[in-house]
Amino acid sequence: MIADVREAFQQALAGVLGREVEISEPLLLAGGASKEAWAVDAHGEPLLVRRAAVGVIHRHTLSLRDEFAVLQAAHEAGVKVPRPYGYLPDLAGREAFVMERLSGETIGRRIVQRPELAAARAGLPEQLADELAKIHAIRVERVPFLEEARFERIVEELDEVGEPHPAIELGLWWLRESHPRPRPVVVAHGDYRIGNVVVDEHGLVGVLDWEFAHLDDPVRDLAFGLVRAWRFGIDDKRLGGIGDVEPYLERYNELTGFDARPEELDYWELAGNVGWAIGCLTQAHRHLSGRDRSVELAILGRLGAEVEYEICHLLEKAAA
Amino acid sequence: MTERPTAQELAEAIQEFLAGEILPTITDHRLRFRTLVAMNALGIVYRELAQLPPEDDAEQRELAARIRAGEVEPGTLERVKADVEARLEIASPRYLERYR
Repeated sequence: MIADVREAFQQALAGVLGREVEISEPLLLAGGASKEAWAVDAHGEPLLVRRAAVGVIHRHTLSLRDEFAVLQAAHEAGVKVPRPYGYLPDLAGREAFVMERLSGETIGRRIVQRPELAAARAGLPEQLADELAKIHAIRVERVPFLEEARFERIVEELDEVGEPHPAIELGLWWLRESHPRPRPVVVAHGDYRIGNVVVDEHGLVGVLDWEFAHLDDPVRDLAFGLVRAWRFGIDDKRLGGIGDVEPYLERYNELTGFDARPEELDYWELAGNVGWAIGCLTQAHRHLSGRDRSVELAILGRLGAEVEYEICHLLEKAAA
Repeated sequence: MTERPTAQELAEAIQEFLAGEILPTITDHRLRFRTLVAMNALGIVYRELAQLPPEDDAEQRELAARIRAGEVEPGTLERVKADVEARLEIASPRYLERYR
């Protein structure tokens, strides 16, 4: 990498940690089109630097400043998260923040399949419930910049794509018709699922990816990890390909006193699928519009049909 | 029924990936030559697809608009599911086995 960028990291990390530091060569990790992730060690301490990518502006995700503030609030609330070190308004020309780099597995497919993680999987439903209960107990005043979710937002996103998708329309129609009694909103993670958590052989190590945090019905957050796409091929384990829903729901209800009902989970599981089906289309349009040319984004436009099929399947079950 | 990306747009995306990300990393001469030949073949596919008439999505648009308006007649779900299944037979046929 360019020497002055390394120099910028060196200075910034010294500022954040409050002392002179010797840093390793910063390594740009793969993945994440909107934000860069750099792995760097300062005096042997493993750090991760999240930094804005060039020229990418995303609606509906938090700025790095706000994402960092949410991470701090979660850390204060005792949620298992990477320790937040500091926000950097200008790291070689772009905003960034520094946090602990947790070790463990984050790749969903491996978490659901690896034999050496079998014992960890057995404990994950309760552990996921523990952390989510702590997240939902964060005081809203602590993160006043978070916005409340609006159902119409995903409809607007679908309309911006401009393609006809009757299966998604049917899903939206059902969601409008069958809305459960709304619950008072809580601080929601917004993307709480396998793939956004770190797991090692002992179990859950930490919750990552806070950029979709917002205020919402808690059961929506609770149900997002049930969406089939996030089971990574282990379809019979409804909770993220790792376990059953019952111990997860039971533990969550025990800790929060919310008494979330299985029918509410069904509703929000379908909502999660509708949201992700639209997400596939908007991702593909990042490619098609020329904003981010990528074959990975492009193919999501076609693979969204998988999610639409799941929507139909869930609608059949709901009608039965 | 139309699908985005279209087959032509997918061929284009693969072409860009091969030219932009794969080709620059290949040092082996034989592999480099064969990759160029593959890209040439993909170019033929792309141009052939460009000659096809655009598909008509009027029926899907009408159906989507009716559902949006709340006009969901009996049998709508069955019809929509069959359409999605037909798309999956192209896009991801193995996915359907997960429901059988």
